[in-house]
Amino acid sequence: MPKYYHDDPAWSDIDPLPQDDGTLHPLAAIAYTEEYSEAMGYLRAVMAKNEFSERVLGLTEHIISMNPAHYTVWLYRAKTLSQINASLRDEIAWLNPTALKHLKNYQIWHHRQTIIDALDSPDGEADFIATMLEQDAKNYHVWSYRQWLVKRFGLFDDEEELRWTESMIESDVRNNSAWNHRWFLVVGGRDGQAIGEDVVAREIDYAKRAVRKAPQNQCPWNYLKGIVRHAQLPISTLKDFALEFADMRRPDDIYSSHALDLLADIYAEQESKEEAERALHLLATRFDPIRAHYWNYRKSLLEQAGTAA
Amino acid sequence: MAAPRPSSSRTPSSRLEGILADTDRIQELSDSDGEYEDMGTATQEEMANIAYLESVRIPIEDGLTTESSAVTEETLQAVLPFLESNPNDFPLNIFGLPQLQREKHINFLKHALGDYPRQFAMMDASRPWLLYWSLQGLTALGYDISEYRERVAHTFTLAQHPEGGYGGGYGQLPHLAATYAAVLSIVMVGGSEAYESINRKAMWRYLGQMKQPDGGFTMAPGGEEDIRGAFCALVVLSLLNIPIKLPPDAPARTHGLTSFLDNLGEWVSECQTYEGGISATPLNEAHGAYAFCGVGCLSIMGPPKEMLNKYLNMSTLIHWLSSRQCAPEGGYNGRTNKLVDGCYSHWVGGCWSIVEAATASTNICNRSALARYILSAAQAKKGGLIDKPGKKPDAYHSCYNLAGLSHAQHRYTYEAKVQEDLGGGDLDAPYYWKAQGDYDDEKVWGDTDIVNEVHPIFVIPFKAVHDCRRYFMEKEGF
Ligand SMILES: [Zn+2]
Repeated sequence: MPKYYHDDPAWSDIDPLPQDDGTLHPLAAIAYTEEYSEAMGYLRAVMAKNEFSERVLGLTEHIISMNPAHYTVWLYRAKTLSQINASLRDEIAWLNPTALKHLKNYQIWHHRQTIIDALDSPDGEADFIATMLEQDAKNYHVWSYRQWLVKRFGLFDDEEELRWTESMIESDVRNNSAWNHRWFLVVGGRDGQAIGEDVVAREIDYAKRAVRKAPQNQCPWNYLKGIVRHAQLPISTLKDFALEFADMRRPDDIYSSHALDLLADIYAEQESKEEAERALHLLATRFDPIRAHYWNYRKSLLEQAGTAA
Repeated sequence: MAAPRPSSSRTPSSRLEGILADTDRIQELSDSDGEYEDMGTATQEEMANIAYLESVRIPIEDGLTTESSAVTEETLQAVLPFLESNPNDFPLNIFGLPQLQREKHINFLKHALGDYPRQFAMMDASRPWLLYWSLQGLTALGYDISEYRERVAHTFTLAQHPEGGYGGGYGQLPHLAATYAAVLSIVMVGGSEAYESINRKAMWRYLGQMKQPDGGFTMAPGGEEDIRGAFCALVVLSLLNIPIKLPPDAPARTHGLTSFLDNLGEWVSECQTYEGGISATPLNEAHGAYAFCGVGCLSIMGPPKEMLNKYLNMSTLIHWLSSRQCAPEGGYNGRTNKLVDGCYSHWVGGCWSIVEAATASTNICNRSALARYILSAAQAKKGGLIDKPGKKPDAYHSCYNLAGLSHAQHRYTYEAKVQEDLGGGDLDAPYYWKAQGDYDDEKVWGDTDIVNEVHPIFVIPFKAVHDCRRYFMEKEGF
């Protein structure tokens, strides 16, 4: 049953502001339903008089059910909730099924963030996020929201958070969103605080074990290089490990193009220019030929470094 | 350790499976017409395509299957028939690839500017985008959009907010994405009437409300802060020649900021992740669309060479961008281990001219593989362009595949002396770009497959950029 406002006594004091398209026909015009047009007319009217009330919550809920991608409605709803001190727990309860229905919607996540921030408690959020990720394990909004949550409520040292992240990586070692979250927990979110040697060792070990499961998976390689760079260790720290997967003396037994890529960096650091070139040559001609221009560009950097030295 | 299978060959689509027993055999077959006839299935073009695909394949595949590897493999199997063969029966160019279906795409995009039935209510807040994507797609295809000039100006007059900026439509709150799309659409159709429809002084005030003390920008009042905001705001400031000093009532002033550029480079810098790519906000995952916003934003703040090297680690950025190209598909994905998608032809593909200008290198990426993906796999049979085979065409993927094709075909260079009459003001860096010939070393497109040049930062035609900037440079005050 469509819902109308013009014959609803609770709204009789409002003169709706209808959409006036003027004399020219606008481009990409939508033939709105009567129901949608009317509800939007009432929304414009309450916004114009800055009304914040219980009935505005009902109106915004109605419009969201017809168009969940309407940022104006979400923003006005958030303002209304705070102005009338509405129950934020009720809001979250209403939001959950709505969010599950519209997984890729920016507004819902921002709205949730506003509400949870005002509630000042992360209770129940981790479980809800986990449910969302079961449907789409790499959803950008969901992961970004989780990062906001950890930062807002200082959950960096929450062991459960790290364990959960490991379980996400465990279930798909190629899920880069989960790797990024691990980086965020261990290194990134700590506002430049140094990480201890034991943590560096633990992370290197963790990423190495992941590489061994699937050496052609780039996530743990990027993670390894990131940790080594962050800890300001020489990249040659990883040399023996890289050689396990790419011994250039036996090109038929190369198990990872990413290991070759890393070796090229290591040899460059060690000023073994010929070996670096050989790694890049193998990449360009055999193990990753679609990026041949890039590998050749890396070779040209070796030349420049040579002349500069 | 799960046993890796070096050199195991990834199977092409089943129909042509038998042919790809080994590469030498392909050579033999293509050398001998008689034998090749006997195969009965593959044309000469198909044989060439298959040999090409084999030549850009990564010859390593891990044994372990996970959800990611399974969907990647599924995607490859959906895309391969289009790269090997011509399931849409398009006419082929001299390189044996589908020709650009110009007329069909023009019809699709003109249709996208027309009326929508009521089921499209969820697009109500995105109508400025529909206009921008369609108009930009049309200009890339060489279609004269001047017939839309009055209606574009009219559509956005309705969507302009009295306190500045544009919303999705009449009565909607201003939003930086809508504002960006609106301004670019108005600039594309051009003309003083369209330019003058923009309330620049109110725009200045609105942008002042979006500026945050940490340097970034929110998308809307009370909305989210992310790198799209920073890019969209700078595009608008630069094209409309709006002062870079913050308006007096900007909340960021109470934190000691005085300019739109304060803390901005540092904020963008914080969005670069350990992988080298750029994320929506500091410490999220690196993502192709946000990478373009980040390098675009810096390239408006100053010359790319100076700005990118100052605020970004270029070697990890280039490594990450390069890793986005999927093999053997040739198109880009948006994140590590995600799927190839035609829109990243622009988001990632468009970063290259800027990055190459910043490193004084040319051709770090594989433009021909990208063009191959767009022509072969991203054109819908009935017109419009797509994410990948099996998806429906839309204005968004049409716009960004065509922009990607433009990046693949044209060489854009940054020269400090190009448009002297446009330089000198605030945020003048984007006016030193110039289209300088085509990439034709490894081209896979015929002359009729070439799309128009696209400004590498603003992603609209160069002439529209220059006309607009000149108009607002000559105008005193608001
Ligand atoms: Zn896409």
